Amino acid sequence: MSTIVLDPITRLEGHLKVSVTLDANNNVTAAQATGNLYRDFENMLVGRVPSDAAFLTQRICGVCPVSHAIASSKATEQAKGFTPTLQALLLRNLIQGANFIASNVLHFYQLALLDYIQGPQMNPWAPGYTQDFRLSATDSQTLMNNYVTALSIRRQAHEMGAIFGGKLPHVGNVVPGGVTASPTSTHITNFRNYLNTITTFVQNTYRADVNKLAAAYSDYYQIGKGYGNLISYGVFDTNTTGTKLFPAGTVTSGIVGGFVSTNIKEYVGHSWYTSPSGVNPASETTTPSYGKSGAYTWLKAPRYNGTPYEAGSLARTWISGDYKVGVSVMDRHMARCIETGKIATNMQTWLNQVVVGKSGYTNIGTPTTGTGIGLTEAPRGALGHWVSVATSKISRYQIVTPTCWNASPMDDAGNVGPIEKALIGTHVADTTQPVELLRIVHSFDPCTGCSVHVMSPEGVEMSNFVVQPI
Amino acid sequence: MKISRRDFLKWSVAAGVALNIEFDMANVNTVLAAETDPPIIWIQGAGCSGCTISTLNVTNPTTIDDVLLNKISMKYNSTIMAASGDLAIQNLEECATQYNGQFILVIEGAVPTGASGNYCIIGEVNGVPLTMQQAVLKYGPMAKYVVAAGTCASFGGVSAAGINKTGCVSVKTILTGKTINPVVNLAGCPVHPTVIIQSLLDLVLIGKPTVDSYNRPTKYYGKSVHDTCERREQDDANGIGATTGCFEEYGCMGPGCKNVCQTMKWNKGQAWCISVNYPCIGCSNPTFPTNPLLSNRD
Repeated sequence: MSTIVLDPITRLEGHLKVSVTLDANNNVTAAQATGNLYRDFENMLVGRVPSDAAFLTQRICGVCPVSHAIASSKATEQAKGFTPTLQALLLRNLIQGANFIASNVLHFYQLALLDYIQGPQMNPWAPGYTQDFRLSATDSQTLMNNYVTALSIRRQAHEMGAIFGGKLPHVGNVVPGGVTASPTSTHITNFRNYLNTITTFVQNTYRADVNKLAAAYSDYYQIGKGYGNLISYGVFDTNTTGTKLFPAGTVTSGIVGGFVSTNIKEYVGHSWYTSPSGVNPASETTTPSYGKSGAYTWLKAPRYNGTPYEAGSLARTWISGDYKVGVSVMDRHMARCIETGKIATNMQTWLNQVVVGKSGYTNIGTPTTGTGIGLTEAPRGALGHWVSVATSKISRYQIVTPTCWNASPMDDAGNVGPIEKALIGTHVADTTQPVELLRIVHSFDPCTGCSVHVMSPEGVEMSNFVVQPI
Repeated sequence: MKISRRDFLKWSVAAGVALNIEFDMANVNTVLAAETDPPIIWIQGAGCSGCTISTLNVTNPTTIDDVLLNKISMKYNSTIMAASGDLAIQNLEECATQYNGQFILVIEGAVPTGASGNYCIIGEVNGVPLTMQQAVLKYGPMAKYVVAAGTCASFGGVSAAGINKTGCVSVKTILTGKTINPVVNLAGCPVHPTVIIQSLLDLVLIGKPTVDSYNRPTKYYGKSVHDTCERREQDDANGIGATTGCFEEYGCMGPGCKNVCQTMKWNKGQAWCISVNYPCIGCSNPTFPTNPLLSNRD
């Protein structure tokens, strides 16, 4: 037996550590993921006006700020009993869609691809692993050229989103009541020009590159499955009655089912918190306690009906029916690419529906009292904000991020988190270059202040990349 | 546009001369003659990676591919670097040692000091967790220049908001008196891409910038958003969301907030917060995030 610690796991947002235990055949028998950053957002928001949360929670993640602004705004709107206008929803879709495209393109090319090909032999692309690179020199060069093009495409996606959002990352105008943008015909033309360029890249280049990778690494359709249970809160409202491009739902043992937010509970038995465990976010509290016995991460363990679920593009496409082949490393890349194409196509439709000269904003004032739940999706999965308001100020705020679902630790019943589960059983060919582990972790597109650390079964941290006989 | 690093530096110098910026020509020549690109070590603490993402959005003075391939040598940035784990940490150590006194340290995010720094661990060195606080104290004094990218690193920002249970502080708080040159603060949530990239190039080409009392380059932080706002001379806006009119009545933080938002706009000049009809929330201010955000009231 030996252990491998990866800290930091790079090419993601935040601070993630993963540690695994290997058997004599170098197969993973245990895994722990550790989020290594705590920022106290939920407590920081208490006592503020609800609209402040739409701005502050964006600062949880510079990769998916728009989804936080929308989740927060929806929570306060529900507390106020307000449904945004179609114009507001369309503008949110266009800004959030732009951010999804930027994030998904960034993920495949800048965050994941270097696990499969070698970049230019200079920083920041070197040093790196040299293990199991299968593509020909020509194909590698093509992908690296597209890596550079993708830098431009993801930047242009942000420029597109900023037309209505003011700036990215961290938009300036997605608030309770809608979006304060008031589109002109110039805005729409400008947006469409960007969208056409980006759509061409997504449907041709991105798709071809994912196919190229999948062909060379077809064994990764069998690697990194995890539990196979999927969850989505739904995203992209297509009307004011709640219909969504990607509907909410769950996939349990391959069967698509419904989703009810009251079935969510967060467990902290193995997390650095002393607040009560097994509580729905609507009534949950957060009390940090670094070094708590038996704990190994800042991430809580959200569970649906007590069961671990995986969030992300694959959950969305499985529930919507757009892609439901399997659950694996390569299925996640495939789903992410396919949904990106679908989003881009639908953005054309939403852009056509936007009314020139009409504001997306309604002044709804501040709720004096009430509760609300804002559910949406970040590119990397299900995102929920739960707000309570008293005397026009936030009295409770809880956030469950997608990476909390995916990189969650063991829960109180002893179920490990989805990424941990996906790592177990993996064969590591070269323990000094455990690229298989990186490929699995990256396929989930982890984000936020989460890190994956590798710990020994006793909870004692082992040396990085140091393989130790036990 | 593809130009060589050397051409770019020459062009920058020419542009600078045209703008009456004083250059230390010996320094410029050294840079032009250097065998390697200027080394940058970029570490992230209590933040959101938004400043790294914003940096990827740069278009002026050039795009990020050109920056990374031809202008600087990004030795460490956990969001984009290939290496993970021990390989990454070894690279960090080796680069800091090899370029001791020469590299630029960019710090993104605030520095948590609570729980002995354990609210943010950036990696492990020989099996021992390295807190952000330790990393800043270790690498800050080794750097020729230290740049605080964004409001969290410059002033604490969102990470230090409210009761600040994690004890987040700014880079300057940690490093004052410990660095070769004073910390350069590039506030903004996130930092503006032109401000960070041109500032890094300026450090290489020109050296220490002229800064204000908050250690911000006056070149970028000389005027408030209100000073340059296209709505400044207009009557009061008819509410938040109005397409015309000044938002001062609604608590707009523009009068006290210094940044290039109006003059450069964001995302290749597409827009800025006030152009999409919401008041400035003052995200570049030393006091950001005020409670409430729109709190500039008489």
